[in-house]
Amino acid sequence: MSDNTNQNSTDVAETDGGVKTEAYLDKEINLFKPATPFMRDNLRAMWGLFALWAIIVFGPTTAILFAPEFMTGTEVLGGFPLHFFITAVVTPLGALVLSAVYAFQRDRLDTKYGISHEDEEDAETGAVAADGGEQ
Amino acid sequence: MIEPVVLESALDIGFKLVPTLTLAGMLILFLGVGYFFRVAAVDELWVAGRSIGSIENGMAIGANWMSAASYLGVAGLIATIGYFGLAYVVGWTTGYFILLIFMAAQFRRFGKYTAPDFVGDRFYSDWARGIAAFTTLVIAFVYAIGQASGMGLMSQYIFGLSYEVGVILLMVVTIGYVALSGMLGTTKNMAIQYIILIIAFTLGLYATGWAQGWSLAVPYLEAGPEVAEAASLEAQLVEPFAFTSYYGWIALTFSLIVGTCGLPHVLVRFYTVDNERTARWSTVWGLFFICLLYWGTATYAAFGGLLYADGPGGGSFMDMPGGDADSIVLLTAQLAELPEWLVGLVAAGAVAAALATTAGLFITASSAAAHDIYTNLYKEDATQREQMIVGRTTILGIGILTMLIGLNPPALIGELVAMSFAIAGSIFFPVFFLGLWWEKTTKEGAISGMLVGMAISFGAILNDTALPMYTGVEGAVIPELAVWLPGTASALIGVPVVFTVIIVVSVFTEEPPEDVKRLVRQCHSPEPMKKMDSAEDVAADGGTPADD
Repeated sequence: MSDNTNQNSTDVAETDGGVKTEAYLDKEINLFKPATPFMRDNLRAMWGLFALWAIIVFGPTTAILFAPEFMTGTEVLGGFPLHFFITAVVTPLGALVLSAVYAFQRDRLDTKYGISHEDEEDAETGAVAADGGEQ
Repeated sequence: MIEPVVLESALDIGFKLVPTLTLAGMLILFLGVGYFFRVAAVDELWVAGRSIGSIENGMAIGANWMSAASYLGVAGLIATIGYFGLAYVVGWTTGYFILLIFMAAQFRRFGKYTAPDFVGDRFYSDWARGIAAFTTLVIAFVYAIGQASGMGLMSQYIFGLSYEVGVILLMVVTIGYVALSGMLGTTKNMAIQYIILIIAFTLGLYATGWAQGWSLAVPYLEAGPEVAEAASLEAQLVEPFAFTSYYGWIALTFSLIVGTCGLPHVLVRFYTVDNERTARWSTVWGLFFICLLYWGTATYAAFGGLLYADGPGGGSFMDMPGGDADSIVLLTAQLAELPEWLVGLVAAGAVAAALATTAGLFITASSAAAHDIYTNLYKEDATQREQMIVGRTTILGIGILTMLIGLNPPALIGELVAMSFAIAGSIFFPVFFLGLWWEKTTKEGAISGMLVGMAISFGAILNDTALPMYTGVEGAVIPELAVWLPGTASALIGVPVVFTVIIVVSVFTEEPPEDVKRLVRQCHSPEPMKKMDSAEDVAADGGTPADD
């Protein structure tokens, strides 16, 4: 804690958003209390998308409880009852879209904070990773 | 509620040359790829040298995931239990999102070999490691029974063999090639298996739609009139809570979601990729590849239901026997009078699905036994050769056991697999989640949590499936309990209880040592790590960045 070098490196790390490993090694990991600006940004995206996900997954079936007539009586696309269609097709699609959105969002965060996975990969693994390990 | 698989079936049983050659060609291809990429080193056996890219790993996630339960079981469940069956579709797809945002990259950064590795290192306890390894073996075993059952059903159509001989034959092939090729070979194989199974599944669906004049380009969206017609024959197909309550639907979906996040053989797919970004994108790709199949399951159920009602069902389909339900995808193709080679391809795809998943499960089980139990708990200085021997012996042992139980499976394929999800959800999900996101989780908390999870999930399965099956009791031993705690969906109660136990025990026990906390923090740092580094290496060197 009183280690000078460590303090300094933490300060340096904070100015870039706290993406360096040593900024993390001294801070408590808590899902509700992000320790660095990077993690705060990341957690904000996570929680927002998580809330949407919960609605997409459990919402339609819960809606049947509250509006049974509307959910089961409405027909879409030539005969699908609304609840059946949403649950069978739209919900998986929704989860897929949210996943892609999160992955994009994380990539944007990486760019914002200057994190690159590619450099390291090229420098160290070269051909092996570039072709996915095919021989 | 759960009936044993009835083996008489509307399947056209008899030896068929072209489908047999298709399957044989497929198996030779798998064994060839397995042989070509055969491995001798432990790193490669278990994590493929961490060399797999995101699309290839996504396909492997897909193939690993889509077992006989997805390929055959889900459509059968929708056809026989209607809207309740859609809980499987939702649970088995949407869980990947949770895995993605909360766990995938962190697990990649943790960077060891197996799920019990995570539990053992994170909770600094050999007891925790041992419990996790045991759970891994149980999950692999329960999960694989469903696959063996699917293989047996398909071999009836392809070879005209009896169900039992089919189970034995195809399990022997599986055991042989997993033992031969290890993880690198199986990852290559999984990408191929995915391509085969998705083509077979989709082609069968499209061809049925064309042959019956039901659909042209996108059967998932065009099947509306067929769903309506099927619903007019069997109103329960679309009745939301005909077979279960709202609670039952939510409980099953929840269990399948948390089970997805707790399955060791899914987790290990994040250990095989080259970096954290690949871990994330391969999850997205994997979910896309998975959705391609799941979107088709409800369509298969509607098409298959109508064809079944026209033919063997005599006007109805929801009361079809278990063997028919589990082969509804194949039956649909057969009843649509598609050419034999095409129906055979659908059957071969189902075998590929079962084989790919079983391979993933057996690899995970063998690493739990060889790496976590034998090496870490029993013999610290075990040589690689010894580990390989133990690993392969485990594959043989668990394979034979699976084969024996698979001869007379206690439930439908989809239900068997759901039980392994309830186990994974109740025992592993809470320790993974809290282990990654709350550094003050202690070993005492984790161990007591896992034991409580075991009691809940095993107890539920014993109550409504295992005990009734082997004692001849009708229904569940304690029916009231089975309503709130079904064996397939015990995690809705299990997860909150286990979370509470872990948190309460952790608060009252001594905090984890500093190096363990650093390990957790390291798993969350966004700074990229070297390919072969594990979180432990980085956290232990006093915080020097990996690339300095």
